[in-house]
Formats: sequence, structure tokens, C-alpha cells
Amino acid sequence: MREQSLTSQLRKAGFADPARAEQLVDDPALAALRSYRYLADFHDVADPDQCLLALIRLCEACEAARLGAVLHGLIEQPASRARLLALLGMSSSLGDFLISHPTCLEAVVRPSSGASRCGIPITTLAHEREVALRAVGADPNDLFPVARIEDGVNRLRIHYLTRIGALAASDLTAPDPLAAMPEVASQIADIVGGALEAALATARAETEDADKVGLAIIAMGKTGARELNYISDVDVVYVARALDDSLDEDGVIRIASRLATCAGRAVSASAGEPALWMLDANLRPEGKDGPLVRTLDSHVAYYRRWAKGWEFQALLKARPIAGDMELGERYIEELSPHVWVAASRSNFVEDSRAMRRRVEEHVPAREQERQLKLGKGGLRDVEFTVQLLQLVHGRTDESLRKSSTLGAIAALRDGGYVARKDAELLDRDYRLLRTLEHRIQLQRLRRSHLVPSGQAELRRVARGMKCAGITSAADLEHLWQGTRREVRQLHQAIYYRPLLPEAAKLSPDDVSLNSDAAKERLASMGYRDPAGALNHITALTAGVSRTAAIQRQLLPVMLGWFAQGPEPDSGLLAFRVLSERMGRTSWYMRTLRDGGAAAERLCLILSSSRYLADQIPGLAESVSWLVDKEELEPRTREELDTELESMLTRRGEPSQIAGAGRYLRRRELMRTAMGQVLRVVDPVASRAAVSHAAEIAIDAGLRGAVIAACKKLGVSEPLSRYAVFALGRMGGKEMGYASDADILFVHDPFPGVDEVAAQRLANEVASQLARLLKETSPEPPMPVDYDLRPEGRNGPLARSIASFAEYYERWAEVWEYQSLLRARPITGDSDLARQFVDLIAAYRYPQDGLPEPALREIRRIKARVEIERMPRGVRPQHHLKLGRGGLADVEWTAQLLQLKYAGRYPALRTTATLPALQAAREAGLLDHEDAERLCTAWGLASLLRDLNFLGTGRAQASRIDVLPHELGELAVVASLMGKDISDRHDVVEEYLRAARRSRTIVERVFYAHPDSP
Amino acid sequence: MDRQQEYVLRTIEEQGVRFVRLWFTDVVGKLKSVAIAPAELEEAFADGIGFDGSAIQGLTRVYESDMLARPDAATFQLLPWRGTDHPVARMFCDITTRDDEPARTDPRNILKRALDKAAEMGFTCYVHPEVEFFLFQQETDPETVPVPIDSASYFDHVTRSTAHDFRREAILNLEEMGISVEFSHHEAGPGQNEIDLHFSDALSMADNLMTFKAVIEEVAIRQGVQASFMPKPLIDAPGSGMHTHMSLFEGERNAFSDPVGEYGLSTTGRQFMAGLLRHAGEITAVTNQHVNSYKRLWGKGEAPSYVCWGPNNRSALVRLPRYRHDRPQAARMEYRAIDSAVNPYLAFAVMIRAGLAGIEGNYELPEQADTDVFLLSDLERRILGIQSLPSSLSHALELMEGSELVAETLGEDCFDYFLRDKRHEWEQYSHQITPAERRRFLATY
Repeated sequence: MREQSLTSQLRKAGFADPARAEQLVDDPALAALRSYRYLADFHDVADPDQCLLALIRLCEACEAARLGAVLHGLIEQPASRARLLALLGMSSSLGDFLISHPTCLEAVVRPSSGASRCGIPITTLAHEREVALRAVGADPNDLFPVARIEDGVNRLRIHYLTRIGALAASDLTAPDPLAAMPEVASQIADIVGGALEAALATARAETEDADKVGLAIIAMGKTGARELNYISDVDVVYVARALDDSLDEDGVIRIASRLATCAGRAVSASAGEPALWMLDANLRPEGKDGPLVRTLDSHVAYYRRWAKGWEFQALLKARPIAGDMELGERYIEELSPHVWVAASRSNFVEDSRAMRRRVEEHVPAREQERQLKLGKGGLRDVEFTVQLLQLVHGRTDESLRKSSTLGAIAALRDGGYVARKDAELLDRDYRLLRTLEHRIQLQRLRRSHLVPSGQAELRRVARGMKCAGITSAADLEHLWQGTRREVRQLHQAIYYRPLLPEAAKLSPDDVSLNSDAAKERLASMGYRDPAGALNHITALTAGVSRTAAIQRQLLPVMLGWFAQGPEPDSGLLAFRVLSERMGRTSWYMRTLRDGGAAAERLCLILSSSRYLADQIPGLAESVSWLVDKEELEPRTREELDTELESMLTRRGEPSQIAGAGRYLRRRELMRTAMGQVLRVVDPVASRAAVSHAAEIAIDAGLRGAVIAACKKLGVSEPLSRYAVFALGRMGGKEMGYASDADILFVHDPFPGVDEVAAQRLANEVASQLARLLKETSPEPPMPVDYDLRPEGRNGPLARSIASFAEYYERWAEVWEYQSLLRARPITGDSDLARQFVDLIAAYRYPQDGLPEPALREIRRIKARVEIERMPRGVRPQHHLKLGRGGLADVEWTAQLLQLKYAGRYPALRTTATLPALQAAREAGLLDHEDAERLCTAWGLASLLRDLNFLGTGRAQASRIDVLPHELGELAVVASLMGKDISDRHDVVEEYLRAARRSRTIVERVFYAHPDSP
Repeated sequence: MDRQQEYVLRTIEEQGVRFVRLWFTDVVGKLKSVAIAPAELEEAFADGIGFDGSAIQGLTRVYESDMLARPDAATFQLLPWRGTDHPVARMFCDITTRDDEPARTDPRNILKRALDKAAEMGFTCYVHPEVEFFLFQQETDPETVPVPIDSASYFDHVTRSTAHDFRREAILNLEEMGISVEFSHHEAGPGQNEIDLHFSDALSMADNLMTFKAVIEEVAIRQGVQASFMPKPLIDAPGSGMHTHMSLFEGERNAFSDPVGEYGLSTTGRQFMAGLLRHAGEITAVTNQHVNSYKRLWGKGEAPSYVCWGPNNRSALVRLPRYRHDRPQAARMEYRAIDSAVNPYLAFAVMIRAGLAGIEGNYELPEQADTDVFLLSDLERRILGIQSLPSSLSHALELMEGSELVAETLGEDCFDYFLRDKRHEWEQYSHQITPAERRRFLATY
């Protein structure tokens, strides 16, 4: 009968293995304690099985030490019993400590009689200092106490664990652990403070002349903020001064350094008792490389001259904790003003942007899924969110200058920077994460931040949390994951939502920052005109329309996304323009609201590319491409042909026909631009796509032009077959967004027609083509350029293939053959195109290469072009197209190699530059490194031209052909290249270097200078 | 406003300073100065002083011609020669763009970048130059050969000499400006003096050298003599070099010192020296920047024209001074090519980067030269693999043009400017028809 009830009692009390527990209860050691009387108490214990086992061992230890009566007395009292069981059930380390030091049992377990807060007996740093000093036999009343007993180090450690054990016992039996958490954390810091004082006392005992210097230990980090966890590195900085006039600075530093080192050893080095924690002095000036101890003057000098932003941030939490407290106070007085001065320094915006990115993007850490501290939604996220807001607003609002996280949250709430509701959630989440951290660390007193994945451990921690409804491993897992999610969401809510104006608040609980605070926050995000941005926000969220309602939801987070691009202000403005045009279109808002990453992509595009910001409102459907990255992939020429075909079935007028092609071109340019800004499409593919877009426009243009020309000349149908060839960069499929189309127009009269009439008609078609592609229309013009035709501007626009044949045979100059290297058919009669390709093969790929005079001629022309075509006022290195080592240099070099060797190496017969260089390398005509360097320079120059266009939206050659130099433009280009804005000068440096190297090769290979380096 | 700046403003008020000179240096190493009234200083600290950068040699890209000079309060000094009645003070400036970014071509910034590079590798760089210069009788006509103020020689003690007084006054002035002098003595040439500055970090030293030249010129004017840092002013007397001792520290420890290494030199030290030697040709256009510099380098005497090293070998390009084994902090090496007409910021930058390249690339140190390489024949030197420094500015520029190291150290813009400017100097020089040529050829042909 009794056995059965015992088993069920045990099970009810939470024993995982009641059968084994039953045997243990009968253990003779326990029998004396008559443990069966309070089996129900085990219900409140984190791990009853572990607890029971530890209790037996403790009994044996107490008996052996003749302290059985003490244990008896403690067990008999409900309060001390609860403390003992809670401790043994949660912490195997503290259990082991009691078992090996039964004399400490009473001090750990007996409840304190004094006042308490949230169930935690109150203590102070002064009290902890006093008891710790007594533990090492020092007199607390001395100004600089000295340890007067042997073995002070071990005594210190035993004392420390006794104090921590007592605190843990209170913590684990507190009625509401979340409420008690701040008190626990600050008491840990005070106990650490006491230990440091005692460590100094032992250090003084070992150090000669210790009484001649004052050494203050300044606590930094969580120790400084009095929010320490059970096991953590303790961050400190040392300051010293002379107390004896005979001592010079070197002497002070020497003695003080020895003191600091000894004190560090007292807590961290191995000794009889285990080490407590690492005393980490790496936050000191110059970090690991700097001297361990400095005088106050030396600290101040360092912070004045050398310290970086984050070092000031570290000072936020500094506080004197042990040693020469008067000196410590002076340290704080001298340095704390610097913290807030630092916040107004010029790189503050960059720093805080980087910090914000850090919270929002998160560097995936190893074990991130189980990481309590650094993982997503972990403790660090809460701390950063809070510190960021402190730095942004604390410059002007002194009430925010709190060192502890919870204190800062309360101050932010009271100052109206964070909604009361959000502050409460954040406060609770922080307490919860910290309590969880405490429980995890208490188990073995290890500095762990990994949430256990084993069920047994999870269960122990869950029960140790003593939160309502959290008893099993699954409960805890659920709670933790929920908290993490909430922390991530809260960051968004807290950082951005208060930027909405009062009238646009999403819920009455939200706060709306006053305009100064809102401007501070916008400025910290990188908005250069916060007042303007506030106007846009107000306009976008005003009113009762559905659009305004959706925008109120979307805008807070979009404000952050705009700030990821280089020009948040113009991004926001462009969005306002777009919204005003599109706001009533239901799919548009729906796309933004439900479109996954679409809204974020739109923000990035609008704040990076003026071109797209101008164009998107004109083709709103482009916003829908952002939903799916595949929509941003360039369309192939075949797809475009099919689409044009179907559009033309509904159009008959030449202008309409050409307009269809021009529309397709505009659309594809935008698609490509979007893909390039979002870096979905690589630069080679984007230039091909831009070329295809031009081709389709010319294709449609030719169809329209034939109709228009026939009509104009009163002919019923064409008299020739027509073919259009692309030359130049279009021929190589290397067009930039703003390039003209260089073309040749070939025709071949039908048999039997009047050749003169056919020629006249062909000329008319060619001229109609140019007209239709640039006539006024909603679609942007596609300028075509016939200037590379035979006889240049004096020649007819169109020529028959026979005339071309004669011209190339008799009159053409070497540069014209060179330009044919790029000739590629793009539209018209495919047989004629093939004939023409065959015709020019012998000229562009001469079988025996070029004779020396022809080579010399090409070099001379190039040399002249370099001087004559370079615009005035531009430094030659900075011109991407004509400058040294730029596009023209590389292209002429590739073409020279083609003219010389394509007859022999068919692989060189390509219209594109990069493949030509590759082929030359493979054929051994160019060094591997030379080819690489030419390709790099050419690729960079091309890319910079594209990005110049995308960034500024301006198409003038004077703009896009020059290395960007205005700092704003440079920032845009840098960010489009995926670089950090602060690295923008690297763009210039990188290009100039690439171009310099390329030029060296051009001089050697193209100009054949024998002595070029 | 930080404390240092407050200190400066207070001092100015207390001492009744009338003018503050803001100093900076152009690419060729000329000191530039803007004087402002103390009332403007507070604003200068906050916002910088605007000026047209395009008017300063090589300082800017044309388009960013609006520049700001930002005084560095830590370099504040009263100018002792201006007396105490109406004191004048100076500060060095960093040059920034309007957007507060350091100007890429500001020599001070270029040196800072090189030092950052060293810091990334864990080193701080210390230097200690021995500056040589001549004192001449005052003479305004550049056509005449200058007359030295005495005819003494190395270490000569000249009683009641001008040189003696000169050095004393110069040193007092320098010390008053916080520049400590290690050593001073009469050098080998007539009227030639040497003053060694106490070692200091490379940036402060470059600032100090700029100050040094200003002080020397001021003192010279007051004593009615002419001071010249021209590398080789007299055909028959040695030129003025600026042998520069260098050492790297890792924290408090001298990274060149290794008590058990050969000559007490650590592996880091060997690699650094190997870097200096391997890149010596490329950096010569910077360390010896004038056409006249090459007359010193190739003017016999002790100038080091061959790329080699030796412990205490005075003909070597890099010399390893002995130091006492109980003073490992004194381990250092002396680069002997550099001359007194240098832009110290750029020269220190390229020398440091050359050495660091040796460390980064684990360069092997070539064998030391244990004989006087001057005494060897060309053929012997070739057999031993001993190269020469460039023979002329033109030759030096050719070597520099192919140097990635120098391009990276100076930055592409400054690199390009420097090459163009120096080619121009070479062209101007080649244009000259000298009295020597007329003497030699006029009557002959």
C-alpha cells in the first residue's frame, strides 16, 4: 500500500524515474532526514532526480564533517528547505560546491532576515565589499585594505561561491523570477565587485610598495551596467595614480600593473579552488596591445585623440567598482562627457547605420538557431536596439543616459520615444531571455549561451524558470521561439513606427515622435533632409483612403529600406510620386503589401537609381516584376520577336509599328535596369539585353520604314531586299543604356527592277528608319547613327551589296575594315545578311594579317583620336571611354589583334570585345595576365558607364563617360556596385589602377612600344 | 569641441597670440601656410578653413577644388622666433573635402594611410632622421657659386663660429617647439651641419621635419646666413642626405630586435630590410625627388648608390647600426639614400610600405656586402648581383612608373600627379645649357 502511494507521490512531484527515486529515499543517509515527509516539496524543484541524489551526497558529507545537525536544522525549516532543494535541483555545480564545503551550507541556505525586493534580500556593493574583505582577513575600514591571511585566493573563491549560492537560492525560490531578474543581475555585479576588492587586497599583500599607488578598477559592459549574468567575463579597465610624491609615472604604472595582474590571477588563474571568471581588460585603450594600467591623464589623452566610436559606446556603461573609488569617480567625471560628444561626430550616421544593419540583417553565427545571446531575436538584438536609440536621442535628451538595458527601456518609454506597449513587451522579453540565460548557466556555472537541445536539460531549465504554464521542454521551446520572433518584430515597431505622424498612428497605443526627435532618428538612418522626409511621410499617410491605410502599415518598414540605398531622400520622394499616381490602382498596393520582397526591392531601386525612379511611374506594371526575380531576367531576342509579331497584327501605321518596337525597348531597358540594380543580372548579360532591346526597336522601325517609304515614293511594294547591320558596341552586344545604335544599311535590288529607283527607295527606307525611331512619341527615342557607312557623311545612307563590294575592294581604308569587325546582322532579309557577312569576311579577317603600313596607320589614327576627341577639362585618366586604359584603348587593342590574326585563328572572329581577348589569350597572342587586366579595365569602365546612367538618369556623354567625381554620385555608384558607401573612394582608386595597368599593356601590345614597362 | 582644442583656445587667450598659422604640405613637400586671427580659430576647429585646393600643387583633383584645412589641435605650438610680445602659433592641418573626407592626395593623409597599413599588421613605426644642410654666406645671385660660412670639417669644433651659434639657437628654438634634438655637429663639408632629431612616430616626425626646416630658415635669416637643404650644392663637398633610422614596434616591443638573431636582428627586421632593398629603385623618385638629388647619389663620397646592406657598413644603402644588447629597444636600420630636400610624408610612406611588403611577402634578405662596394668593378658588382640606384631623375621615374607599390602607397591620383610633375622637372632641366657645357664645348667646336 505504502509503496504504491510513494511511487505516485514521486511521480506527482515530478521525478522522471520514480522507481529509482524510491530506492534513494530509502537510503540510510536520507532516512535520517525523514525525507518522505516533504516529497511534495520536490514539485517545485527543477530536476527532482538530480536534487535527491545531491541531497544524499550532501547528507554524507555533512555527517563526515559532523555537521549533520546543521543540515537537519535547515531541512526542518520550510524556507531553508525550499532554498536547499531548489539549489540542488537546478545547479549541479553549486550542489558539488556545498558537498565539498559543507561548512558553507548554512551561509548559502539560511534565508536572510533583512529586507528584500521581489524575494531577493537586498545587498549593496559596500556590504559585499565588507564581507569579501573580511573573508580574506582584510580590514574593511582601511582605505586600501590588505589581505592578512594565508591562502587568501582560495578563501576569496569560496566566499564568492557562497555569496553566489545564496543569491541563486533566493533567485530560484523567488515568487516571480522575471520580476526578480534585475535585482539578481545587479547583485551578481555587486558580489563581483566585492570579489574584485578582495582580490586587490590579496594583490596588495603580494606587491611591494602597494600603498604608494591608488588603483581604481572601472567596471565596463554588463558589470558596469549592473546587469551581469551568473557567469560572464568581467570587463574592466584600470586607472592608477601616485599616492606618494616620490614616485614617478613609470613607477606608478609598474606597481599598479603588478597589482592588476595579481588581482587578475586571484580570480582567474588556477589554484586549489576553481577559477571564478576571466577578468578581461581588453576594452582598455589600444586593446590587447595597450598598457594594462594607465594614469587618468593618459586615459583622457587617448580618448581625446585616438578612440573610435565604439570605444565611447563602451564608456556608456563604465562605473568604478573597486580600489581607489575617488580616482574611479574622477575617471567617470572626466570621460563621460566624451560619450555624448562622440555621438555628434561626423561618422556617427555611418556608425549607427552600420549598427542598425547589424540588427536588421544579422550576421548568421554558428549555432545561431540555439544561440540565446547572438542569435536572431537574442539578447544582443534587444541591447542593440536600445543602445541605438539611446545614442540617437541621448545627445539631446539627457534622461536617456542610463547604463542598464531595462533602465534605458523605461527612460525611452517615459520620454515618449517608444510606445508604452512596445516598451512593456521589450522589457518582458529581455527579462525572459535573461532569466533563461541564468537558468542555463546555473546548471554547471558555465559561460554558455546555447539553449540546450536535450530533452532532460530543457525540462530542467523549463521547470527552473517557474513561469506560469512553462513546465515541459516543449513549453519552453515554444516560449523561446515566440520571444525571439517578438524581439525581431519589436525592433521594427520601435525604430520606425514612431516616425508616423500623430494622425497616422496605427493604434492609439503607438507613440508618435515629436518632430525634433523624428528628425534625429531619420538623420541617424541617413536621411539628409529629415524635414523633407517628414513632409513626405505625413503626405503619404494622411487621409482615410485605403491607400493611406495600407501605407501607414507599410511605410515604417519602408523607411528603413529606403535607407539601405544611397539616397533615401530621393527614394522616398519617388515613392510619393509613384503612390500619388498609382495609389488607387488596387493591384499596385496589393503587390506592395503581399508581394513578399517586392516592396523592399522597390525601395532599394527608388533610392539607388534616378533613372528608374523617373521611369517606373510611367510603366507601373514594372512594379509587378519585383515579386518574382524571374521576371527580372532579360527576355531573349526570340521572345521579343514573338511578342512584336503579335503586337503588329493589331497595328498598320508606320508610327504605330515603330512605336511598338520602341515600347518594347523602353520596357526591356527598365527590366534590365531593375535586374542590374538588384544585381540579379550580371553586367555582360545586361549589356546584351540592352542590345536586344535596341534590335527589336530597329526591327519594328524597319518594318514601319518600308511601308512609310513606299507610300512616300508612291511605290506599291519594296524593290529590294533589306538588311540592317549593327556596328560598334551594338555589334558586340555591348551597348550601354544611353548608347546610340551604329548601323549599316544594305539592300539588294530584286532581279529586273530599276536599280536607280531601288537605290532611291532604299535610301528613303533608311532615312524613314532613323525618323521613325526618333520622332516625338511617348516612347523614348532610339537614335541611330549611319556615320560609319562608306564615304561617311557624304555617302548614301543605304548601299546595294554590289556597291559595298566595289567600295571595299577599291576605296575602303583600313579603319573601315576595322569597324567591320563589329558588324552583326540584326534585322532584315537573312539571305542578304549572310551574303554580306561572306562579302566582308575577307576584309575584316585578312588571311595574312595586316601589312606594316596598315598597322602603322591604325596606330596613328588612334593616337590622333586620343588627343582630338578628348573633351576639354577632363583628366585623361578619368574618361572611361577615351581615357588612358579605358574602353577605346582596350577595344582597339583587341581589334588590332583580330585584324592581324583572325585570318589564321577563327576563334578570333567575334564581334564582342571580351571573347576576342579571351580567344587571343587562348591562341597565345596575349599573356594570361595581360588579357585579364585588359578585361578588368574594360569591364569596370563599361560597368561604371552603366551605373552612371542608372544612378543619375542622365544620358549626356559628358556625364556618363567620365568617372563619377561628385561625392553623392560616387556614393550612388559605389552602392550600386555593392560596396559600402564609406568605401566610395575605392571605386575611383580601383578604376584608376585598372586603367593604369591596362594602359601599360595597350602601349606594349597596341602601340608596340618596345620599352614600355 | 574636445579638450585639446579648448586647451589651444585657452592658451591663445592667455598668451595673447595674435595670429595662428595653419600649416600643411603640398605634394612636392613645400610648406603652405594660412594665417588666421584667433577669433576665427574656434570656427576653424568646428568647420575647417576653406581654400581653393586647385591652386596648391597636386593637392586635388580639379573638380574637388574646394578643400578644407582642419587644424590638428595636438600639433599646436608657439613659434619661438616670433617672440613673446605678439606671439604667433602654428598648427598642422589635415586636408579634407567639403564632405569631410580626407583628401586622397594630402601628403599627411598618404602617410597616415601607410601607417594604418602598418597598424593593421600590428606595428607602429618610429623614425629618426639625421638632417644635413649647408650654411652659406648670404647671396642672392643663383649664378654664383655659394660660399660656405666656414671651412671646417667633420666634428670640427670651431670656436666662436657662426655655425656653432647657429646650431645652438636652432636647437633651442626646436626644443621650445617640443622637438627634441638628439645630436648636432659639424658635418664633413665646409659650412655643412647635421642635426639629428630624437626618434618619434613617423607622422609626428614628418610634421617635425616641416617645422625643422622652417626653424632653420628663420634662424638663418636672423643670423644673416643662408641655409640650404639642397641635396648637392657644391661640386667638391659631400651632399646633404637625410639618413633615416627606422624601427617597428609591436606594442612595447621592438619588432626588429632578436637577441639571438644575426646582428641582433629579428626575422621581421630581415624581411623589412629585404623589402626596402627590393623596392629601393622604385621609391627613389620619392626619396630623392629632384634632378639635383642624383648628383648627390652619384657624387662619390659616402652616398649610397648601390643596393646592398651591411652592419655598420657606411657605403651600404641600408646600414645596421650596432646597439647594445641590453637595449633591444634601440634596434633599427638606417636608410641612407634619402636626402634633405624630400617631402618627408611621402618618403616615409614609401619607405615604410616597401619594408612592410617585405614582411608580407616573406622576402629573403640578400647576402650582406662586406666590402666597400665602391671599390668593386661594375663587372664584380654584376656578378654579386648588386644593383644600382637609378642614375637620374628620369631613370628613377621610369622605375617608379612600373611600381605597383608606389602607386598603391601614394594613391592613383597622387602617383599620376607626381610622375607628371617630375617629368616636367626633368624636361626643364634637360633644357638647360650650363656654364660647364659652354666651357667644354663652346670653343672646342
